[in-house]
Amino acid sequence: MPTLPQLIEEDVQRLDGTLREFLAQTDATAALVIDQGGFLIAHAGEDRQFDLTTIGALASGAFMATQTIAGLVNEKNFNSIYQQGEKFSMFVINVDDHCMLVVIFLSKVGVGVVKFYAAMAVKQVARHLAAAKERSPGAGLDLSALNAADPQEYFRKKAA
Amino acid sequence: MAIINQATKELQVKIVYYGPAMGGKTTNLVQVHDHVQTTAGNKGKLVSLATSSDRTLFFDFLPIEAMTIKGFKTKFQLYTVPGQVIYNTTRQLVLRGVDGIVFVADSQYEKMPENVESFQNLVDNLNTLKLNIAEIPYVLQYNKRDLPNAAPTEYLDYLLNNREVQVPSFPGSAHKCEGVFESLNMITRMLLQKYINQAAPQPA
Repeated sequence: MPTLPQLIEEDVQRLDGTLREFLAQTDATAALVIDQGGFLIAHAGEDRQFDLTTIGALASGAFMATQTIAGLVNEKNFNSIYQQGEKFSMFVINVDDHCMLVVIFLSKVGVGVVKFYAAMAVKQVARHLAAAKERSPGAGLDLSALNAADPQEYFRKKAA
Repeated sequence: MAIINQATKELQVKIVYYGPAMGGKTTNLVQVHDHVQTTAGNKGKLVSLATSSDRTLFFDFLPIEAMTIKGFKTKFQLYTVPGQVIYNTTRQLVLRGVDGIVFVADSQYEKMPENVESFQNLVDNLNTLKLNIAEIPYVLQYNKRDLPNAAPTEYLDYLLNNREVQVPSFPGSAHKCEGVFESLNMITRMLLQKYINQAAPQPA
C-alpha cells in the first residue's frame, strides 16, 4: 500500500498561497485542488455559494471519464476539460498523476486567462504536493489526536 | 488512498459499495442518508448519477461525517458503483483512491452466479489499479434476506467469504434499513484500526 499523504501546516500554507495568487491573477471565483479519489485537498475563494465537496467528487469523476474517452480515441495529450456555462464556467486541469486543479470562474472572465495562469499554478501545486509526498515516510502518521472510542456506533441510526 | 491533513486535523476516507446489479447498493446509501443521526451540517447531499429508471449510471455519492470520532474531523465519502456488467470502466474509475469496500450481495438463489462474478470483477479491477483485495478492508452484506428465495448465509459465506482470512458479514434488508448501519460501522472500524496500526511506531 502506498504511504498515506499527509499535509502539514506548511503544505497547506503553500497550497493556499498558490491558489490565492492564482485567484488574484485570474479573477476566478474559486480554485480547488482535488485528488483522483474525489477528495478535496485544498481550496481558496468562494466556499459558501458552492458545495465544494460534491463539486470535487463530480469534477474528479468527469475528468477521469473524459480522460478515458480521450484514451479510447488515441488522444495522448489530454490534460484538461472546460465546461462553458452562462453564469459560471469550470476548468479542470491535471496537476500530476493523482491530482487536479478545478477552477470555477464567472463566464464573463475569459477562459484564456484562466488557462494561461492555471498552467503555471499547476506546476507550483505539483511541487508542493511532491514535497508533501516525499517527506520522510519513516515519520509515520500522527494520529495521536484520533480517538476512535465507541467503536460499535460511529454512525447512529435515528430513533424511529 | 485516504487524505490526512494534519494542519486542519481532517481525515478523509473513501468507501465504495460494490456488488451485482440491483443488489441494493444505492438503497444502502439512501438509507444512510435518510436515517443517520448527525449534528447540523455533517451530512451532505446524496448525489445520484442515475438513468431515468433509477439505475446507477456513474455513481452515487454521499459525504458524511462520523459523530463519535474525536480529535480528527473524520469525513467519509460513500460511493456506489453501477452494477451492470457493461459499466466496468466506470467501476474502475470509482474504485480509484478507495480505502474500504462494502460488498453488497443479493441473497436470492438465482443471483449467486452474479454475486460470484461481481466479486471476481472487484478483485480484477483492484488488480488493474495495483491493489490487492487482501490489503483492502472490506465487509460483506448479504442483502434481501427478507425474500422467500434467499439462500442461507452459510452458502453465501461458502461462495464469497471462503478465503484464508474471513471478513465480517452481515445479513441485511437494505430497504428496511437492516444491516445497513452494521456494515457501515464495521468497515469504519476496520479502516480506523488500520490507520491507527499504521501510525503506531514499528518495533526496531
